[in-house]
Amino acid sequence: MPLANPPAPQLTRTRSAVTAANLWRAYGSGEAQVVALRDVSVQFASGAFTAIMGPSGSGKSTLMHCLAGLDTTDRGTVRIGETAITGLNDKALTKLRRDKIGFIFQQFNLLPTLTAEENILLPASIAGTKADPEWIARIIATLDLADRLTHKPTELSGGQQQRVACARALATRPEVVFADEPTGNLDTRSSGEVLRFLRRSVDDFGQTIVMVTHDPSAAAHADRVVFLADGQIVEDLHRPTADAVIDTMRGFENRVPLAGEAR
Amino acid sequence: MLRATLKGMAARKARLILTSLAVVLGSAFIAAALVLTASIRATVDDLSGDAYKGADVIVQPVEPENRGDRLVRDGVAAETLAAIEANGDVADVSTTVTWMVNALGEDGKIVGGFAPTMAVNWGDESVEREMREGRAPEADGEVAVSAQFVTESGLGLGDTVTAYSLSTDETPYEIVGVYGYAGGRDSLSGSTELAFTTTEAQRLVFGGEDVYSAVAVTAADGVDADELLKALEPAVGAESEAITHQAYVDDLNAESAEVTSVIGYFLLGFGLIAVFVSVFLIANTFSIVIAGRLKEIAMMRAIGAGRGQIIRSVLAEAGLLGAAAAAVGAGLGVAAGAGLTSVIANGFLDTATTSVAIPWSAPLAAVAVGLGVTVLSALVPAVRASKTPPVEAMREAVKADKPITGITVTGLVVTLLGAAGIILGLNETFGSDDANLIAAAVGAGVVFIGVALLTAWLSKPVVALLGAVWSWSFAGRLGRLNASRNPRRTAVTAAALMIGVTLVTATATLLTSVKESLAERFDTTIKAELFVTGPVTASVPATFDPEVMDEIRAVDGVEAAVDLYYDLAQIDGTEQYVNASSDIEGAVTQFGGVVAEGSMKDLGEGEIAANDAAAEQLGIGIGDTVTATFSRGTEAHEFTLVAIIADNEESDGFYVDPAYTAEFYTPKPNMALVDVADGADVGDVTAEVEDLIADQPSVSVQNHEEYLSQVTVFFDYAIIAIQLLLALAMIVAVIGVVNTLVLSVLERTRELGMLRAIGMTRGQTTRMVTVESVTIALFGALLGIGTGLLLGWIVQQALAPTGIESFAIPTALIAAYLAASVLVGLLAAIAPAVRASKVDILGAISYE
Repeated sequence: MPLANPPAPQLTRTRSAVTAANLWRAYGSGEAQVVALRDVSVQFASGAFTAIMGPSGSGKSTLMHCLAGLDTTDRGTVRIGETAITGLNDKALTKLRRDKIGFIFQQFNLLPTLTAEENILLPASIAGTKADPEWIARIIATLDLADRLTHKPTELSGGQQQRVACARALATRPEVVFADEPTGNLDTRSSGEVLRFLRRSVDDFGQTIVMVTHDPSAAAHADRVVFLADGQIVEDLHRPTADAVIDTMRGFENRVPLAGEAR
Repeated sequence: MLRATLKGMAARKARLILTSLAVVLGSAFIAAALVLTASIRATVDDLSGDAYKGADVIVQPVEPENRGDRLVRDGVAAETLAAIEANGDVADVSTTVTWMVNALGEDGKIVGGFAPTMAVNWGDESVEREMREGRAPEADGEVAVSAQFVTESGLGLGDTVTAYSLSTDETPYEIVGVYGYAGGRDSLSGSTELAFTTTEAQRLVFGGEDVYSAVAVTAADGVDADELLKALEPAVGAESEAITHQAYVDDLNAESAEVTSVIGYFLLGFGLIAVFVSVFLIANTFSIVIAGRLKEIAMMRAIGAGRGQIIRSVLAEAGLLGAAAAAVGAGLGVAAGAGLTSVIANGFLDTATTSVAIPWSAPLAAVAVGLGVTVLSALVPAVRASKTPPVEAMREAVKADKPITGITVTGLVVTLLGAAGIILGLNETFGSDDANLIAAAVGAGVVFIGVALLTAWLSKPVVALLGAVWSWSFAGRLGRLNASRNPRRTAVTAAALMIGVTLVTATATLLTSVKESLAERFDTTIKAELFVTGPVTASVPATFDPEVMDEIRAVDGVEAAVDLYYDLAQIDGTEQYVNASSDIEGAVTQFGGVVAEGSMKDLGEGEIAANDAAAEQLGIGIGDTVTATFSRGTEAHEFTLVAIIADNEESDGFYVDPAYTAEFYTPKPNMALVDVADGADVGDVTAEVEDLIADQPSVSVQNHEEYLSQVTVFFDYAIIAIQLLLALAMIVAVIGVVNTLVLSVLERTRELGMLRAIGMTRGQTTRMVTVESVTIALFGALLGIGTGLLLGWIVQQALAPTGIESFAIPTALIAAYLAASVLVGLLAAIAPAVRASKVDILGAISYE
């Protein structure tokens, strides 16, 4: 293979961590049927930070749930790394989520009975394995949580709790981290901290992150923004700036009636 | 507001049902207890009504006043019978001759347990008998036996049965018939029966005198019962009395009412305990349900609902739920009571038919208790709910638990108050026995509540300790942490289980202590190694020939042997135990007694010795005179008190010369104490003595343990009976644990969703909930065992002056309680664990 080829777009150059092909997902039936995903195909590059945006009801959360093996698809396939997850049973899916996927939730979702450190080690504990202590130490140092490890979640601020949740998501070095509105419950300063960490974990640790958000400034931290509307991908923006995201959203909002007409 | 309450209730059906279960159960127990009691009484009354069916007047001997000893019976004289038969108003007469006998079974041992073995004349019409095989006895050497006797003795038609009574020696009889009773019953209340000819029955019961236990008289046409009663008056005389059939039945009913009311109190006690446990369940369920609705309540407050409205809303919900659940419970309880009547009637009373009586008080009391308890239990959660600040509606955060200092201090104070009540009551501080009993009982109840309040404080360390067991599994560790995350909730749930375990532990501890105290005193005061005696349950006290005593004394290795005769005599108008022995001094010293005053080397004619307690009771001293009439004595004897015995703890009453034993109810010795010489082999001596009494089947040789286990067998039965309490309390407790867990699982849905999302398997989720359940159950059991031991110890200490000096812990039972509580935990975990493992991950973690 000639090494001197001109640089191809990032998407094709790197291996893809998550691949969705022709995903369909509908809820309900008959008159009340809502189609959340219509024929969505998308790839998420390994070692990249991708944001999924879209208005409420656009299907962005459904897409993430399907990608993460939390929801089933009607048609189409999802691969995490080399593993096709479509059709796996609950046990296999559970194991996959445990070993290959990290989660960051809007509500932090820490276990109130465990200390910060125990929450970080939770996935390893559930798996019955020992987390790599050097790796954990590095995450904790990066997130500046060293002096909070023995605290219970109730003794931590929202930003601190979400940083613990970030550490938990990264603790097992998952193939991909899914973040569902990770800054939705945080103030601006804490949001910045969390987003900068997510950015760093991609740049320094080569982590793959897929983040659902409706905040343009959050999306601006990503390498790429995928826009969803009415269950379809309508825009794919690389190296976005907040302004570019806002512009795209505006333009895309203007297109909504058109999309309606197209139906 | 009511509309909102109703709609809210409809929206939370699952929680509603769980709350109701506790109320339903409590009400059902009350209703069932009342129905069961009324039905058993009705059934027993019917049974009494069947006695001497068709007779108008019953003539029976006049019982002497103040006569507790029922072993020796009086009868209606033959002349009286003849006079009755000669009366013109009499159409028909039937006679009854009956009392207790001993009969030997196939194995040569005395037949029967707690129910007696009765002799009766075939011809007795007090009950309806139905011959099943063979025929009626026609000769004195023949007998017909009840089907129950066949079952218990192992003997059958054509076999020979040996029987004897107080008046007769062992006599062989040929079994010529086997019979049952009306309705296809094998027995009357579990007793065994042998039917003889009338003359043989008279020999057994009255020593051959021509007298009768009762005479049933039927009036001639046109004569009613009262007229017959009047007409018979001259014939009956002073030694007998005539009563109408109705009066006879009423007497029987009054006697059985004593038994049935005891059963009734027992059942009602069960019901009240169930209700008491339900209070905890209901209060807990309401607390949890309201905790889960804090946001909703805060929202109501935010839009302008007043605190009073919130309280009324919660109480209205409790009232509606309580009324509905109590009504269902009352219905179920009435049905269960009716159903159980036949089980109890057939199983324990051997009645042919059962009558179900449903008193109005049953459903009314059940509904009132259920409704009242629910509303009262909801009061605290309601007030707490009303204190919710409106701002809670906007918050979404995990709240730290409220401090438990207040509740802990209160718990400590309440516990001490309760303990004080028990101690004061048991020390008879108050004026009347009733007041003391109430103080002790209320004190025990207050201790429960106090400890229940303390459980929140105790839960952290105890649960942490228990948790060490599960630490090997991460899911187990999470479960343990969940069990201790809400100390109040865990505490109240565990408290529900604690109550039952406390009750049984306290009772078992006390009974075991009594047993142990008896055993210890027995071992320290009684020198004899061997006892020659019969079973405690024999209908007629076992006896043996006095001649065998000399043979026993001649056995190599026997240091001393003392024979003992017992009687229950009338001394100065009181009922007293009287002992006699050919070695009177040995009889005293064998039991650790010492002569404190006077001398009793050889008691002669007209001389009597007394234990210090008996002398004190009668207020007599050395040289004073008493009059005594023995069981079979026809006249009173005068005795002079010559000795007072102290420290004699195993034997009551008085001592007289064996010459008087002819007037005792058994003229032969009832027991022999054999003191084996130091260095002699107890086994060898036992074997030799056994050979000597081989021809006397009603007695056997027993060592200390064997004899003690016979004496204390009643305690064993009592201990078994109270385990029923545990079973009941456990059922209620299971529901309590299920309630708490299901509600906790509902509350933690999001957390469970997160755990499942990040890779916790269903199996791990199930394990987590199960460990939480078992931890709560074990915690409750440990608390109950602790409180029970404490209560048992307090009562034992209070009773120590009466001789209950040892404190014994029933270790095997306690181990069983712990095992049972683990089982409760496992059972209670099933439904909540399945629910938790099936939690919809998406639904749990989504916010949109």
